[in-house]
Amino acid sequence: MPPRSSPTKTQSIYAPRPCRLLSVTDLTPQEKLFRLQLNDGSDLGHRPGQFVQVSVPGLTEAPISVASSPDRHGFFDLGIRRAGRLTTALHALQPGAQLGVRGPFGRPFQLETLTGKDLLLIAGGCGLAPLRSLLQYCEDHRNRFGVLHLLYGARSPADLMFKEDLHDWQKGACFNCRVTVDHSPADGCYDGATGLVTGLLDDLDLVPGRTVAVLVGPPPMYRPLLDALEHKGIAKESIMLSLERMMRCGIGKCGHCSIEHLLCCQDGPVFWLPEIEHLRGAL
Amino acid sequence: MLKRLDRSDLEKLLSALATGYRLLTPQRLADGTRLLRPHGEGALALQGEPVQRKPTEAFFPQHDPLLRIGEQGEVTTCDPPVRPVALFGLNAADLGCIAFIDRFFADPPADDHYLARRKDALLVGLTGFSGPGGDVLPPANGMCDLELLAFGQNWLGVPWTPRGEALLEGFPDGEQAEVEELLESARTRGNPAQDLLEKAAGLVASEVVPDDFWREVGDRCILCSGCNLACPTCTCFCVEDRQEQAVTLRSRVWDSCQFDAFMREASGHNPLGTEALRTRRRIHHKLAADVTRWGEFGCLLCGRCDRVCPTGIGIQAVAAEILARFGP
Ligand SMILES: Cc1cc2nc3c(=O)[nH]c(=O)nc-3n(C[C@H](O)[C@H](O)[C@H](O)COP(=O)(O)OP(=O)(O)OC[C@H]3O[C@@H](n4cnc5c(N)ncnc54)[C@H](O)[C@@H]3O)c2cc1C
Ligand code: SF4
Ligand code: SF4
Repeated sequence: MPPRSSPTKTQSIYAPRPCRLLSVTDLTPQEKLFRLQLNDGSDLGHRPGQFVQVSVPGLTEAPISVASSPDRHGFFDLGIRRAGRLTTALHALQPGAQLGVRGPFGRPFQLETLTGKDLLLIAGGCGLAPLRSLLQYCEDHRNRFGVLHLLYGARSPADLMFKEDLHDWQKGACFNCRVTVDHSPADGCYDGATGLVTGLLDDLDLVPGRTVAVLVGPPPMYRPLLDALEHKGIAKESIMLSLERMMRCGIGKCGHCSIEHLLCCQDGPVFWLPEIEHLRGAL
Repeated sequence: MLKRLDRSDLEKLLSALATGYRLLTPQRLADGTRLLRPHGEGALALQGEPVQRKPTEAFFPQHDPLLRIGEQGEVTTCDPPVRPVALFGLNAADLGCIAFIDRFFADPPADDHYLARRKDALLVGLTGFSGPGGDVLPPANGMCDLELLAFGQNWLGVPWTPRGEALLEGFPDGEQAEVEELLESARTRGNPAQDLLEKAAGLVASEVVPDDFWREVGDRCILCSGCNLACPTCTCFCVEDRQEQAVTLRSRVWDSCQFDAFMREASGHNPLGTEALRTRRRIHHKLAADVTRWGEFGCLLCGRCDRVCPTGIGIQAVAAEILARFGP
């Protein structure tokens, strides 16, 4: 029996929409790229920075950022790290598999405020997945932005996600793209920069008044980066960052993603720095 | 339109409720406490201390099936019971708690699952001289469909919604004057606990309570989660899948922010990684964060967390300690 394309008798906010896995690609030993399509053929309708709740029957749901631009039609991408039971089950799936998603949810990157600006786009580790939706959007609408800097840091060369994209971004004219790894192995196959992602900022030419910084990475990355940005003269009001927290529902009800009075899933995951820097436990 | 009900009128009202609704009424248990139970299972206990268990569980139960996912991925939602519930005998604090979570779940994006249960439900407040030992209780201030103010052997029926009005139709008229004395005594009584809470909230919000205090209080917590599970305004949940043959039942289940795993992420990062941080969150959330977000306290002083906490750090106990140590 073929999978049904629409849920029976329900539009509940908790009901996943059925979708099909079009392809799976290895990104790193721990991460894979999943390309999905809603069964009814429609676009997901997301904006860069938003996430979906991926449903696996028996294992509940996990929040995953959409890693492709809304302007790439007919599919959406998710870059997923194998972290536990649900994500391990996803990694075992083959193209053609059926999945469920809810969403898109969350406050996206505010494209209106980014238009006309120089962008300093910084990703650490897994953070390149959420940022990729914005990077692709920039590529597709290049003339809306000024200079586009892209800085990306991973632990080791093997941990670099989206290597093909990185290659294109480094070779192409769209981004001033710099990549670094914390440690490079002794085998000599890697000839790029080493050191923390903050190091990539040192000799970067920025025009502070014209630049908006967008940060997506693991929690420990933010403090040192914010110090470095302050050093570069970037105002707090011009810094946007994405905060990920444990989430169960994605719609502001389950309570797990709260930071004081804010809810990451509704008020974020993308925040302006002044909105959260004074809140306990935010950074 | 005020009505005056005597005991036989009250019985009539209860039978009318029992025909249209799944009626829950306060009844006394063998251990002396009161509980909302299906009407008729035990003797009515219309006077006494607040009911055990939060009444909000009628709309947000501890284990709450959301949907079924079939073998082919088809999704069916779990609908609410056909007969809506009527909660009889709620005090003002519990009505306030229901109003609080009504607003929370209705806030966009609305929780259709909660609203489906809540939509046709009926709330009957019971105030007047119906507290412990016949003590006077604060009025319900319109937070229910109909309110019964107990006085002498009678009740003054006050309808607050058209449904409440319809239910009171046909009963003899009552006079406001009959309960004037009662209302006056409820008005002038004041609420020392509310006072305490507001003062402590001011101190918590202005961050004058040091981390050492939270560490000290947190050290007393044994992570039993009773405070959260008992609290009618606590709405946090986790999600659980159970599989039977090829069908998955997805449910939400009450969770507790006092548990270590409440915010722990797959990476190991835990923004609430100590008992001190979690205890601060429990109190700060209700007294400061909810005020910032919703403009009201997340605690309506129902008293349950102080009754349930085995180590004596319910919200009123902690508020008193904060005030004693860091107050003016
Ligand atoms: C807004 C947002 C966007 C995300 N985007 C991505 C992404 O693009 N790619 C990616 O690989 N990962 C992403 N994550 C993290 C991802 O959700 C977790 O790695 C995933 O939930 C782990 O689930 P698991 O069942 O495999 O692991 P388990 O070992 O089972 O994890 C333990 C439990 O904790 C929960 N949990 C643990 N960590 C998190 C977390 N950080 N957020 C939410 N729930 C958590 C899980 O639901 C799980 O039940 C994102 C998280 C958030 C909040
Ligand atoms: S008294 Fe305790 S249980 Fe009752 S509403 Fe306040 S915090 Fe919740
Ligand atoms: S009831 Fe008391 S001991 Fe139990 S989790 Fe709450 S604060 Fe801790």
